[in-house]
Amino acid sequence: MEINKRNLLISLAYVVPALIFMLVLIGYPLFYNIKISFQHLDLMTLNNPDVAFAGLENYRKVIGLDSFHIAFKNTFFFTFWSIFLQFTIGFALALFFNMKFRLAGFLRGLTLVSYLVPIVITSLLFKFMFNQSVGIINYILLSFGFVDQPIEWLTHPELAMWSVIIANVWVGAPFNMMLLSTGLSSLPDDIYEAASIDGANKFKQFVYMTLPMLRPVIMIVIMMGFIFTFKVFDLIFVMTAGGPVNATEVLSTLAYKLSFDQFNFSQGAAASNILFFILFIVSLIYLRMVRSDEVM
Amino acid sequence: MLNIVGIVIVGAILFPIYWMVVSSFKVQGEIFQMPPTLFPNEWYVEGYTSQLGGALGRSFINSLIVALSSMAIVVILAIPASYGLARYPVPGKKWMILFFLVTQMLPVTVVLTPMFILFKKLALLNSLAAPILATATLGIPFSVLILRTYFLNAPKELEDAAMIDGCNRFTAFLRIMIPISYPGIIVSATFSFLFAWGDLIYSMTFISNSDMWPLTAGVYNSMGKYGIQWNNLLSFATITVLPVLAMFILLQRYIISGLTSGAVK
Repeated sequence: MEINKRNLLISLAYVVPALIFMLVLIGYPLFYNIKISFQHLDLMTLNNPDVAFAGLENYRKVIGLDSFHIAFKNTFFFTFWSIFLQFTIGFALALFFNMKFRLAGFLRGLTLVSYLVPIVITSLLFKFMFNQSVGIINYILLSFGFVDQPIEWLTHPELAMWSVIIANVWVGAPFNMMLLSTGLSSLPDDIYEAASIDGANKFKQFVYMTLPMLRPVIMIVIMMGFIFTFKVFDLIFVMTAGGPVNATEVLSTLAYKLSFDQFNFSQGAAASNILFFILFIVSLIYLRMVRSDEVM
Repeated sequence: MLNIVGIVIVGAILFPIYWMVVSSFKVQGEIFQMPPTLFPNEWYVEGYTSQLGGALGRSFINSLIVALSSMAIVVILAIPASYGLARYPVPGKKWMILFFLVTQMLPVTVVLTPMFILFKKLALLNSLAAPILATATLGIPFSVLILRTYFLNAPKELEDAAMIDGCNRFTAFLRIMIPISYPGIIVSATFSFLFAWGDLIYSMTFISNSDMWPLTAGVYNSMGKYGIQWNNLLSFATITVLPVLAMFILLQRYIISGLTSGAVK
């Protein structure tokens, strides 16, 4: 009994400092954000500890906003196309670098730099390259004759969304590639040899062998892609700030604006909680898929 | 042949970074020149030299303080926590791990306002402590989860042997487990540094005094200004990317293994 109690204290001593840190800085804010989403908290009431209970009013108001509808749709559009493109490109790159050639490993690693560059810098860079007059992208398109006049990438509503998607794909594709590469390298070589002896061509091998065997990894990559893309904030905030006219507004930028531009903290909290709720559901599915053996 | 194709592909992917560095050395007129030059005709270094004594230098120091302090907090807290969760039957262990997993999935806006209010109460707004503490919350869950797998996979026999040789559990942890788990520790320290180094939103929200801005906030705030001085701004950006590139070159092997093990395992 004595020893068990001692062991319990020792085991807690290792974990508790980190846990307290996270509970104070993440657990409490998480709880607090739920609390203020049911109150009326703005600049006027910020210093008043007893803010009136508002029930579901903030949620009703936020959901009723036109900008919420646009942001909701945009978030899914941004997420879908980002994942689709970064997955396809990442997969193509993974297949390419999986071929055995001398520089494969080195070059594959090098692409990860785009994943590690701070997002603000990535946003600035793409803003520079998409710039209508000084941008290199317009210059390339013009000189190859794809377009006959400079394109307003960031100021045209439809193109602005594609601009942020392209920047996001630049960030995400190497990460997708890395995970898919790890998956590919774990596939057994001998069954591919057997299949080619039996006359299956590369395409058939890919569709009937690689894809099914890689299914678990593919699912993880897509789920993680969803979780990280759905909450993207900095990239859009810096590149377009949600504009032009809400064209790139997503739930995270909308929540930020409600809180820190309009100082309507309660509505901002409601919007970010809706975002979090969707992510939480997806995260649970994801956790069930990958970590079930380890955690539960 | 494949080597050449590979180099072309990677060149295309990394072109934006090349373009940033090259453009930061061009005079303003050359940036607007069409066709663009792949290499500066005339080297412009004032973007670096004139700013280093001012905002650029100050921001660089601020970024360094934020990133190193945040990294230190993460390493000090995450190493024992991950070891405890790997080796001991801690009560509520599953929930703790779940908590760390979920915090990695939180959208930043969920905690931003409450953190702002919390730091206001603690009188930490407008100090580097605010982004340091806030960014450590990104590094801790990442590191705990990564390091736990390292400690789980570390041979228990070594620890037992050390204890027979007179170590207690804690000294065995310090002398045996930490040294053999160094790849994991490097990964978590590197990523904690990078998370804090790349942070914009926390610094921007918690600090209004421009003298205390890290590089990211400096870059962001110069972007909005009318008539961007692209070359000066891009030299700011290049300086921001420099430590990232340096760490990547030095620690490439660890970074790649860390990313893949953290995600798929």
